[in-house]
Amino acid sequence: MKQAFYGLLLFSFLALPPVAAVMESIMIVHMHMQMTLLVLSGFLMGRFFQLKFPVFFKKWNMNGIAGILLFMIIWSFWMIPRSMDDALTIQVVELFKFSSLPFLAGVALRDSWHKIGARGQYIVFGFFILVFSFMAWIYIGADNQICNNYLLVEQQTVGWGSLFFGVILSFYVLQVLFIDQSQYE
Amino acid sequence: MAKPLKDIIRDDPKKTLGVTPEDAKISKAYLSVAFITLLVGGLLGLVQGLERAGLLELPAWLNYYQVLTAHGILLILIFTAAFSIGYLYAGFSHTIGGLLPKVRKMAWAGFSLILVGVALVVATILMNEASVLYTFYPPLAASPVFYIGLVFVVLGIWSCALGVFINYHHWRKNHRGEVTPLFAFFTMGVFILWFFGSLGVTIEVLTLIPWSMGWKETINVMVSRTLFWSFGHTLVNVWYIIATSAWYVTIPKIIGGKIFSDKLARVVVIMLVILNIPGGFHHQIIDPGISETVKFLHVFMSVSIAFPSLMTAFAMFAVFERAGRKKGGKGLFGWFTKLPWGDVRFLAPMVAMIAFIPGGAGGLINTSNQMNQVIHNTMWVVGHFHITVGVTAVLTFFGICYWLVPYISKRQLTPQMNKLGIIQTIVWTVGMILMSGSQHMVGLLGDPRRTSYTTYGDHETALGWIPYEYVMAFGATLLLLGIIIQVYAVFNMMFLATKGESEFPIGEVEINAENTPLWTERWSLWIILLLMVVAMAYVVPIVDFVVNAPPGSPPIKTW
Repeated sequence: MKQAFYGLLLFSFLALPPVAAVMESIMIVHMHMQMTLLVLSGFLMGRFFQLKFPVFFKKWNMNGIAGILLFMIIWSFWMIPRSMDDALTIQVVELFKFSSLPFLAGVALRDSWHKIGARGQYIVFGFFILVFSFMAWIYIGADNQICNNYLLVEQQTVGWGSLFFGVILSFYVLQVLFIDQSQYE
Repeated sequence: MAKPLKDIIRDDPKKTLGVTPEDAKISKAYLSVAFITLLVGGLLGLVQGLERAGLLELPAWLNYYQVLTAHGILLILIFTAAFSIGYLYAGFSHTIGGLLPKVRKMAWAGFSLILVGVALVVATILMNEASVLYTFYPPLAASPVFYIGLVFVVLGIWSCALGVFINYHHWRKNHRGEVTPLFAFFTMGVFILWFFGSLGVTIEVLTLIPWSMGWKETINVMVSRTLFWSFGHTLVNVWYIIATSAWYVTIPKIIGGKIFSDKLARVVVIMLVILNIPGGFHHQIIDPGISETVKFLHVFMSVSIAFPSLMTAFAMFAVFERAGRKKGGKGLFGWFTKLPWGDVRFLAPMVAMIAFIPGGAGGLINTSNQMNQVIHNTMWVVGHFHITVGVTAVLTFFGICYWLVPYISKRQLTPQMNKLGIIQTIVWTVGMILMSGSQHMVGLLGDPRRTSYTTYGDHETALGWIPYEYVMAFGATLLLLGIIIQVYAVFNMMFLATKGESEFPIGEVEINAENTPLWTERWSLWIILLLMVVAMAYVVPIVDFVVNAPPGSPPIKTW
């Protein structure tokens, strides 16, 4: 339950208007930091929901697939430039961002991660690497502004950031695949 | 959890023999280079201090900026690197039961590379071809030989780093289910940070070489500065982790206490490794080209380093209090007087730790945008790094010498040498209070750093700085005296002191301490997180500098 409290604390911090304003003023921080931290806060708070509603999770997310699909859909939705624009201009969409990323994506990820097993986890990593590569291609390559609220240079920054994330994530998967921890532990 | 010493003696008595003679030779070679460099660099420091105060006029063949460059490079880069490798390799060898033969060869290869690098760097500075100050940022351009020398130094450090990684891997394969000894864990943390932290500066130097040769007309100054500081600040924290390794591992043993928490120490190392590199941005807080919002976010990265530092402060004072109370200390602060103040192995690092209180507070001032504007590029900054590097790191290094050098030389720390060490610590502390203190104060009055003696046409503000500069010069004189004592002590303990066995003090954990979890050893994961943090921190300014690049700068020689 300590974790859930820290998650709530992180969520409250991210929701403070000045904090949100600073983070949303830089495109890559908005997309790759604020949103990731929102998912993380939900991931931490997930413990509370798992303990309070065990039957619900057992019934609706028995093998983790429903949860991980929900997580991937919500996360992919927020990678669309239009969604970010809407969040900045329409208050209700901003509210949806602050509720969907922690409570739908983060909590679902927490409940599903172990249930989907190692193979499922590799699929999720693969999906992430693909999306990041695709984003790198689009955001670095696009000559036009695809997000009304941000400059072209910020868009390219997101592209390069996504490329780095994709590469680093690939390194992570490779080390999980090739380093046999049982040799050491 | 590391095995208690008595178990190691029972299970594998060879390990208690500690550093093998071959490994000891490596450490002795590196420490010798370190202390010869310290003597030369210290002498240059005094020359610089006297010139700055207008008390000494340099001959025509030697200018202030040459002295400044040599003082900085020799002490900040070479002395600290050589000492660190000598110390870490000795401790690593001791705690994991000796180095592999190929690792030993790599350490020697590193030694040769560093020496070649130093020779090239010093030669160009002496020839007045590289008065680019120790930060060597463009547009100031040195001779290409200077940069090539720096590449050799970095390659030498990488060779040592690779050696540690190979030996660590070998040890873990042969000790399944065990966590590495705490000292070896610190060594891994240091070399990983050193390796990844030096990637940026290596890219910078490799772009400076064709530029200084004239093959490339211009260079992007902002990218170079950013790459430099990704290394510069990491190096500061490399010294800091090295100092904390001695605080966590050896001091509990020296004062007759126990390690507060093995797990906490490892978490501190992991946090420092992951969070460190973007801290460099606070050195660029006044630089153009980085938006204020990005600078603001980076203040968080810099201040996040304060968190593991506070954990260290808490853990260390808990160790002191427990040890002091065990020895009969009563009341709220009675334990404080029971600490072994007469033992240089404790006194020197303790003063170093205390110095980190004003040092850290000064650091917070430097990293804050508004306050930085008051002290930016003034003598305050010089005062700040003399108290942090010069006391917190270096005085800990000096304290380490009083057990490390006798240990690797199979000699003893005599009571006379201990007394000399105490005197050295006092001389160093007083010298640094005077020098660093006056630098801080005169910096607040606007005295610029990196400027040779000038009164700006006898302007009254500039004349008001001179008394402080006299105190600075006096402090620098005491510091050189401190260096002479220290260098004498090191070589005496290495070659002349009474023969005998000395202990490598390795603290033990409390009997009822919980086991250290194996997940702390997942370095591949910590490296991935480190890279993630670096990618997130650097992508915004670097893309901006490249996409919106101003016309680059040609090489400029101002001297």
